Parts: sequence; structure tokens; C-alpha cells
Amino acid sequence: MGNIKRLIRAEMWYLLFLLPGLCLFIFAVFVPLVMGARYSFTSWDGLSRTVHYTGWDNYVRAFSDSDLWIVLVNTFKYAIIVTVLVNAISLLLALLLDTYLKFRNAFRTIFFLPGVISIVLSGFIWKYNYAIGFPSLFGMFGLDISSPLGDPNYALFGLILIAVWQGIGAPMIIYIAGLQGVSSELVESAKIDGANARQSFFRIILPLIAPSITINMLLVLTGSLKVFDLVYVTTQGGPAFSTEVISTFIYKSSFANFQAGYGTALSMIFFLILVLVTIVQISIFRRREVEM
Amino acid sequence: MKKSMVLSLCVLLLALLLAACGSKNNDSQSSAGSSDPAASSPAESSAAPAESASEEKPITISFMHFKSDVTDGVQKIVDQFEAANPNISVDVQPVKYDDYYTLLKTKMAGGDVVDVFTLNAGAQTKLFVDGGYVEDLTGMPFLENFDPSVVAAQATDGKNYVSPVNATPIAMFYNKKIFADLGIEIPRTFDAMIAAGKKIKDAGKTPFALGWKDGWTLGMWIGRDLPSNTALVENQPDFFTKLETGAVKFADNPAARTMIQHAKQIFDLGNKDQLGVDYNGIVDLFAKGDVGMMYMGTWPLADIQKKNPELYETGIGYFPYPFSNDESLNKLEFNPDASLAVGSNSKNKEAALKFVAFMASKEGGDSWVKNINSLSYVKGASADIAPAVNELQPYFDSGEVYDSQVYIKTTIDWTNQFVQNLQKLFFDKATEDEVIATMDDWVSKNHK
Repeated sequence: MGNIKRLIRAEMWYLLFLLPGLCLFIFAVFVPLVMGARYSFTSWDGLSRTVHYTGWDNYVRAFSDSDLWIVLVNTFKYAIIVTVLVNAISLLLALLLDTYLKFRNAFRTIFFLPGVISIVLSGFIWKYNYAIGFPSLFGMFGLDISSPLGDPNYALFGLILIAVWQGIGAPMIIYIAGLQGVSSELVESAKIDGANARQSFFRIILPLIAPSITINMLLVLTGSLKVFDLVYVTTQGGPAFSTEVISTFIYKSSFANFQAGYGTALSMIFFLILVLVTIVQISIFRRREVEM
Repeated sequence: MKKSMVLSLCVLLLALLLAACGSKNNDSQSSAGSSDPAASSPAESSAAPAESASEEKPITISFMHFKSDVTDGVQKIVDQFEAANPNISVDVQPVKYDDYYTLLKTKMAGGDVVDVFTLNAGAQTKLFVDGGYVEDLTGMPFLENFDPSVVAAQATDGKNYVSPVNATPIAMFYNKKIFADLGIEIPRTFDAMIAAGKKIKDAGKTPFALGWKDGWTLGMWIGRDLPSNTALVENQPDFFTKLETGAVKFADNPAARTMIQHAKQIFDLGNKDQLGVDYNGIVDLFAKGDVGMMYMGTWPLADIQKKNPELYETGIGYFPYPFSNDESLNKLEFNPDASLAVGSNSKNKEAALKFVAFMASKEGGDSWVKNINSLSYVKGASADIAPAVNELQPYFDSGEVYDSQVYIKTTIDWTNQFVQNLQKLFFDKATEDEVIATMDDWVSKNHK
């Protein structure tokens, strides 16, 4: 009994400091989620004041909806390519900018800058670049190109390019921080033992910055799975559904087709998919981390 | 001692936080409550004493509209209203048309008050009327400023919930110089128009400015070619009503096939990168004078005037879009554009009605014509909007106008879906039959 009392007294502070955050989370995330989940069992149109309960109909329909599979494929294609490219490029840049390069602070700022402007703005900038900027630039060299966003075969890659351009800043900073945490003694002793640059990178540095890799992979993947704003301002899911991702699909079901009930059910399914992806990803990457 | 003080401080802060949360909840509850039909009647009666004092007291009403491409023009009209009614100020909220109904719906469902807003007469108005968000305007004196047939055409279930405002022809702009140089007559049939397009292409110029990067440009064309062919060529005027109930399919409508073939032909004769250039891009192209034809309402005229005044004055003409090969059917498309509605939960109904009445007056009507280059429904309002539009005068004089939108009596958002499926066809990712089958599949799945 006394033990428990002492334990409570000792842990009390932690609990107390947790409370405000917990309150925010419960009222701003958890409660709306549960309230929203209720609508996924209805055929609500998003506007009327009465709702009609239909049980699991929306979920049954989602699993037999062939469009859902198409948009899921698009979403994962986009997210995986973006995740790989962003992490590879930002790690390379971080390695470069961690060396004793002249003007490295200036370069860090330059590479970080695109991440500062809003996605909506960068969407507009790139829409202009693709439609007018690039064609007239390449036109000077006699090359005839047109906007990738206007061609269903390339539209998704057009979006990926924008996402990578904008997305490398933040992961790069995390990688630089991780690289600076690697003690130079380890690298030096490896050098003395006869390891070349490649060996010391793969055997020493990479395992030591594994926590940075985990967090970057996680943030970029979940972030790009949830992409909405970029698609909405540049292509709105078109042309020919080639850039339709899950969040724009949910949006269209809820608001354009007046099926808020079905839209909510899709959101719930998407929520579960996200949780699943995150768990799998963490369990894979955590295994590769080493303790100092 | 010190520790306990800190602790109590923390508890106090936490209590404050919770209290703040709590009061917020109460706020949202009360505002949600007032949007209830049951609770709105006491709110109305409490607003009544305030009305008597409205003469001196400054009032602000909100006005949300979808004419965002002419934001400045609308602002000028509103300024004119404010000058005439010094005690009323108007908070104007322009919204891009693509997002307009989503935003309005969300606001209404969330219990927000919008005093005056634009609606499209027809299906969209009915949706908001059915939700109980729109004030009944039947019998209001300002409706007498319009032709009775116009008022009747914009009625919903026999009552007037919206006041007509402006109308616009939607037709083909053409470059007079290109047409004259190549000896092309104004085409009166679809095939003649395509033949003209081919001639322009052979001469090394762009036949059609398309701008189909924006969903609405292609959607606007589909939304007129299909109902026109459906109702007038194939004689199925109630096709869309039946589509809503599931009684017919696109496969039963030969006009769907016609429209797809038309789209493909126009696409092939379009500017380079048809799906990569947007509305602003094609207005640019057209204003430069390199393009033969452009299917559009009267909105780009102000822009063209700014970019190329010479072309605007003498270089462009306007002819009805020939949706079929039967000359007698190809009349001029003349559509109502915006109509005004008053929110049923508005707290300043008197001021809101004053605002609508101003828009329905001769002064307001003239202001719409002058500032946003569209025609007004107000009786006796001026009709001189641009030199190009004067070419349509014979059609107005002989009454050769029609409105294809009256045939679309459905809430199904089929145009956007059709746009995407057509884009598949343009890039040979689907055949005609597949497009129609996918559309039917989509309708049956989403609208049971």
C-alpha cells in the first residue's frame, strides 16, 4: 500500500505534465473521430438534418468498389516513390553539407527554402512552370515539350517531382543533425583499421543514424499517403483519374456526390490502413537501429 | 511548502484550461442550436425589436458569390449599393466556382449565417430549398422588375426562392481575320465547324482554344452539348430526370455517343497540350490572335479588352455553337448565370432583402451589365456589353434562343465524372463503349 502511494507521488509530476496534451488530443482528435465514426454507419448526404442508419452497408460497398482499389494503387505508388526519392536525395545532400564545404550554410538554407512555402503556393508555381515556364524555356533550345500534368501517363510523376522538390528540406535537417551526432572517433578508428570511405559509410555511419532514417521514412510516408492539397490545387485527381488519391476520392464522395456517410466510412478504412502501415514500418526499421 | 504551491498553481491552470474548453463547447452548442428550425423562431422574434432601430444602427450583411473571376466588378456593384444605403455595409466573400457549393454547403450545415448568396436556379437551388436554408421570396415587389416568364423559369416547386440577376450567352468566339483570310463562312452545323477547324489547322494555326486543364471548361461544354443533343436531337427531354431515378442509362441515349465523338473531334483540333493549359492560358492565346475559335461565355471579354483592345473592338465575332447538323435546331444558348437567395437563418433579413431588391432595380441591373460584361434580366437594363456580342442581336430579335440547362433536372454530379472518363478516351485508354459503360456503372453505384 505504502509502495503504491510512493509510486503515485513520484510519477504524479509526469502525469500532470501529460494532462494538457492529453486533453487537447482527446478533445481535438479522439472525440471528433468517434463522433465521425458514427456517420460511417449512415447514408447521410452531408446536408440534411436527419440521418438514416444502414449498418455495415458502406463498408461492404467500399470493399466491392473497384474505384477504391485504383485510388489506393495511385496513393501507394505516389507515397512509396516520394518516400524513397526524398530520403535518398536528402541523405545525399546531408552528407554533402556535413563536410567542410564553403558556403555550406548558404546551401543548407537554399535546399531548405522550398519547404517553407505553402504546398498550395508551390502547386500554383509548378502548374505555371509546367504549362508555360518549361515549354518556353526548352523551346529556346528547339525542344517541344508539354505539361506532364496534362497527360495521364506522366501526371503522377509531375506531382512526385513537386513533392520531392518541396519535401527534401526537413528530412535533410534531421539527417544533418544525425550525422553530427556520430562521433568522429568511431569514423577515425575505422579509418585506422583500414576501412575505405564506402565501408565506413555503410558499416559505421548508416547504422548510427538509423533512428533518423526511421523517423524520416515514417514522417514522409505517412505524410505522402495523406496527400490532398498538392493534388487538389494542381490536377484535382485528373486527367483521366491518373492522380486520384484516397483523400481526394474521399472528398469527392462526400461533397461532390453527396455521400458523406460513404465518405466517412472510406476515411475510417483509410485510418486503419495508415495505422497498419505505420506499425509495420516502425517494427521493420526499429530492428535495424543500434544502441550507442 | 513551495512544492504544494506549484502544485496548486498547476491545478488552477488545468482548471482554467478545462473551463475554457467547456465554455467553448457551450458556445458551439448554442450556435448549433440556433440553426435548428425549432429554435429559429424565438431568434426571429428577438430580432424584431432590433429592426425598428435599423435606420440609424449600422448593419453588416454577408454576401457570398461565385463570380470570383470578376471579383472587382462585383465589388463595384456592391460599392454602389453601399453608397445608396450608408447604414448597411456588405461583407463580400468571393469563392471560386469549383469550390463554391462545397463551401456553401459546409457553412450551412455548420450553422453559419450567410445573409445573401448566389445560387444557380434549378437543381442546386432545389437542394438548398429542401434543406430549409433559403428564404421564400414569392410575391416580393422587386420580382415585378423581371419578365414573368423569367421569374417562372427560375421558380422551385412553384415558389420563388431566388431572384434572377444576370444571364449570359455561351457560344463560339471566332477570330474574324483568320476566318476572312481563309474564306471561311460562319459555320451553322457541327460538321461545317469541324471542316472550318481543319482548314485553320492546315493553314498552320490553332483551330480551337480549349483550356481543358480546368475541369469546368470541358464540363461547361459537356453540360451543354449533351443535354442539347439529348433533348432536341434525340427527343429525350426528361432523360436526366429519369437518370436520377435509375430508369434510364447513358447507354440508352444515342446523344451520349454523339457527344463523345464531338469531344474527340474538337480535342484533336485543339491547341497543343489541351489538358495542360487552363482557362487563363487560352484567353491569352485567343487574345494574341493565333486561335480560330473559343467556346465560352462573355466573361473573357474584359480580359481580352485589356490584353488586345484592337482585337476586342473589331477582330472578334461570336456565333451560336452548332451542337447538331440540323441548322434549325442550332439556336443560341442563353443561360441564367447567378441568382440571389437570402439565407433563412439571416438575422438582418430586412437589409438582405434591400440588397437583393437593389440588384433587381434598373440601377443594379445596369451596374451588372457595365461592371461584369453580362446581360441583365432586369426589364429595360442596357444590353450593350461588347462589340462581339452585338453580332448575336439577330438571334435575340428573332427569338432564336434556348436554355439547355432546363433539361438537366438532377443533382447527380455527372459532368465531372464524364470529364475524367473522356480524358481517358482522349489518350486511348478507353473506348467509346467503355466510357459509357463506366459512366452507367458509376451512376448506379453512387446514386441508388
